[in-house]
Amino acid sequence: MSRSPRASGYFRTSYDQDLALVQTRLERTSLGVFIAALLAFPLIASPFQLDLACQVFLASIGALSLMLLTGYAGQISLGHAGLLAAGAFTVGILFRETNAPFWITLPAAAAVGGLLGIIFGLPSLRLRGLYLAVSTLALHFVVIYLGGEYEARRGFSTGIVVDPPKLGGVSITDARAWYFILLGAAAATLLVCLNLLRARTGRAWRALRTRETVAEALGIGVASYKLLAFVISSAVTAVAGALFAYYRGFVSVEAFSLFLTIQYLAMVIIGGMGSLLGALLGAIFVTLFPYIIEIGLLALPGAQRHASLLFAVNYAAFGLVMILFLMFEPLGLVGMWRRMQNYFLLWPFKHRRAGGSRG
Amino acid sequence: MGTNGAGKTTTLRAISGFLGIDDARVTEGAITFKGARIENRPPHENTRRGIVLVPERDKVFPNLTVAENLAAPVAPAAAAIERRRREALAYQFFPQLADLRHRVGGLLSGGERQMLALASGLVCEPELLLVDELSLGLAPVVVADLLRRLAEIRRQLGIAILVVEQSATVALEVADYAYVMENGRIVLDGTAERLRRHPDIQEFYLGRKSGERRSYREVKQYRRSRRWYG
Amino acid sequence: MQLIVNITVLAAIYALLACGYVLIYRVSRVMNMAHGELAMLGAYLLYTTASLFTDHPVGAIAAALVLSLTVGVLVYVALMRKMTGQMVLAAILTTIAIGILLRGVIVLIWSAAQQHPLQALKFSNPSIELIGGARISTCAALMVLATVAVYTALFVFLRFGRWGMRLRAAGQNPLLAAQRGINLNAIYALAWALSTLTGSIAGMLIALDSGLDQTMVVIGLKAFAPALVGGLDSLLGALVGAVIVASAEVLAIHYVDPLLSDVVPFLVLIAALIVRPWGLFGTREELDRV
Ligand SMILES: Nc1ncnc2c1ncn2[C@@H]1O[C@H](COP(=O)(O)OP(=O)(O)O)[C@@H](O)[C@H]1O
Ligand SMILES: [Mg+2]
Repeated sequence: MSRSPRASGYFRTSYDQDLALVQTRLERTSLGVFIAALLAFPLIASPFQLDLACQVFLASIGALSLMLLTGYAGQISLGHAGLLAAGAFTVGILFRETNAPFWITLPAAAAVGGLLGIIFGLPSLRLRGLYLAVSTLALHFVVIYLGGEYEARRGFSTGIVVDPPKLGGVSITDARAWYFILLGAAAATLLVCLNLLRARTGRAWRALRTRETVAEALGIGVASYKLLAFVISSAVTAVAGALFAYYRGFVSVEAFSLFLTIQYLAMVIIGGMGSLLGALLGAIFVTLFPYIIEIGLLALPGAQRHASLLFAVNYAAFGLVMILFLMFEPLGLVGMWRRMQNYFLLWPFKHRRAGGSRG
Repeated sequence: MGTNGAGKTTTLRAISGFLGIDDARVTEGAITFKGARIENRPPHENTRRGIVLVPERDKVFPNLTVAENLAAPVAPAAAAIERRRREALAYQFFPQLADLRHRVGGLLSGGERQMLALASGLVCEPELLLVDELSLGLAPVVVADLLRRLAEIRRQLGIAILVVEQSATVALEVADYAYVMENGRIVLDGTAERLRRHPDIQEFYLGRKSGERRSYREVKQYRRSRRWYG
Repeated sequence: MQLIVNITVLAAIYALLACGYVLIYRVSRVMNMAHGELAMLGAYLLYTTASLFTDHPVGAIAAALVLSLTVGVLVYVALMRKMTGQMVLAAILTTIAIGILLRGVIVLIWSAAQQHPLQALKFSNPSIELIGGARISTCAALMVLATVAVYTALFVFLRFGRWGMRLRAAGQNPLLAAQRGINLNAIYALAWALSTLTGSIAGMLIALDSGLDQTMVVIGLKAFAPALVGGLDSLLGALVGAVIVASAEVLAIHYVDPLLSDVVPFLVLIAALIVRPWGLFGTREELDRV
């Protein structure tokens, strides 16, 4: 028998292969190296760097959940900060009122998030696009108001202090421990998202994002899948909020302004719509952005005079970067990444890699 | 004329500058109008140049009244008197519209809507009026009536009118010249007189079979001969 | 009596801000999330011109109005023009980004401290006694008058003016409008200019009445509620919506809890969206076209 001709690329020959998360040996090795680097990072990192990493992981969870909702299911939400606040306040309130341990508060936060997801999602059954955006915005203000009310009524007007979670009698305060907890949470979220997206649910979401009426005609229960998107996304977001509360040890409505929602939206846009990798890249970019601006600003002559303007420069630069991405790189960082990848993969040729658009 | 998807709408959109709105472009060849190259120009510019399109669908402003629909276009001659004259002309060719003056566009019947679309096209002072799918959703009697009015307009105003029309019988009766499109190309053209007698048109558009049933081989022959035209 | 006056003034503020949302939504189906920031920018421009033309308050106001018109056109030409024809989401996000940018830039230029354009203009703001013992400040009275004037002008312009008609036409069917020789870019720029102008007038009067700082953005957000309650594509709706939302807010503050002020408009909004998503006077089919 003659040997089959050598393939000129990687082709999937079965559906299992198409569904597999890791596809080629190169992918497997680079993933291994990446995981090893993540695990080794705390050994060499300074406390500040560890804190940054933890913030990135928290942001990743929130960004991934928003990406599911907006990037895949196509539902605009301006209520993300409200959901994070809901998760954080669930922890704060349960802890203050009943002294509940984290293995009660975290599921409770998820449940509250899921419930709010139904409430946030109900308008989506009747409203689309902009109307949905505004109704979720309205719900954001309602949640924040309720949180503020609680703070005021119970006399925590500056915020609620939350003790670190206890595991077997030991409080988790070590920064390295937090690093691994949050890394684990982010990785788990990523896996959940990947699995949702490669199965029926993900296909249904993509269909209803593209065109609802057609999706309906194809036998996809548009209403229930929309609600499902809201419920899953909101539950995950609320858990992120709960982790945030434990990590910071402090909950206050001040932390959940509309600007936080905008930051998460920016992660999704700057990272790249419709791509989980994009959500991660966006989370990294947006989390590190203020620090980069700070470094840049302090490097200027007369830095001390500028220091008070830091937050304003931050706002302006952030808005500008968002605009630039929206206008010139709608595919976001992922788009840039793919172009670069293709460039090196195929140089000196100019063809696109086939079928490699999995996030 | 041409089957569905033959490229008739695309051609009209290219001429009137609408391709650009969908981020598409004319990539090959040239479109000249009165000696000037006009491919890939914005639509409002072409309108002021005298090329006016009456589109296939969404051809009137649904929430403006008939009178407002006729007043909305920006015509090259902005002088109020000239405008008034133009609007009067529109009512003259389509007298029914005068009674509907205060009805909003969205509530008109298909025929009335087409009349309003043609009339407000006329207000733009076209030198070339492009009409896409005149008969879309209209009864044959209405179509014949509209086509005769277009012929009348052309005679009185001396403008060129290019109509995409499926019902070949009436179309070839009122037209001077006709083109048949297929796969994005013109495969057949000539005076209406000539096309009316062309055997392929006779069979495939006018539905007249010469004698007995033709065999499949001959149909294929027709397809091949058409391809040669392109 | 005082309650009615308060409602009227708040309704005027909301109506003046809401008509900006309506104008832009109507022509381009975009909700301008930067409207509050643009209104604030208008107020800051007035503050600057007031300090420049110290002896000519009228000149200062006129200059500020012209500047805010220009800002509206610039925002459209420089930023939003590229977003026409894009997904609604992208356009909304762009306006959000513009808002953030403006907020930063405003603090950089004018600092975050509270400013008082009233003093800069050397105006005073005595309160006027009305029948029934209610009081209204001069600036608030001006606000009500300005709202009446702006709405009358807009109604006349949209109903009878040829360009107003074209504005409506472009909103209903942009492709056909372009085909009828209407320059869409000019129409959109016009809508942005008018919207920014009316928003700035609101911003200036609010700033004259009660000082100027970043909190104005919140008023801009709250003005979503009247715009949506009334129906995003209807000016009359914005007016009625403003009265409804202002009444609910003033009554809630008075009888229930002053802290409710920031949340009542949104509660009304949610209720309205549940009962009648397209608003009291809005066009229904807007919801079905995606
Ligand atoms: N010359 C052409 N070049 C490229 N694509 C074309 C051309 N003509 C037509 N098409 C494509 O063919 C399809 C159908 O064309 P259309 O003009 O809508 O057909 P018709 O109006 O005759 O039914 C469109 O998707 C269009 O993009
Ligand atoms: Mg067609």
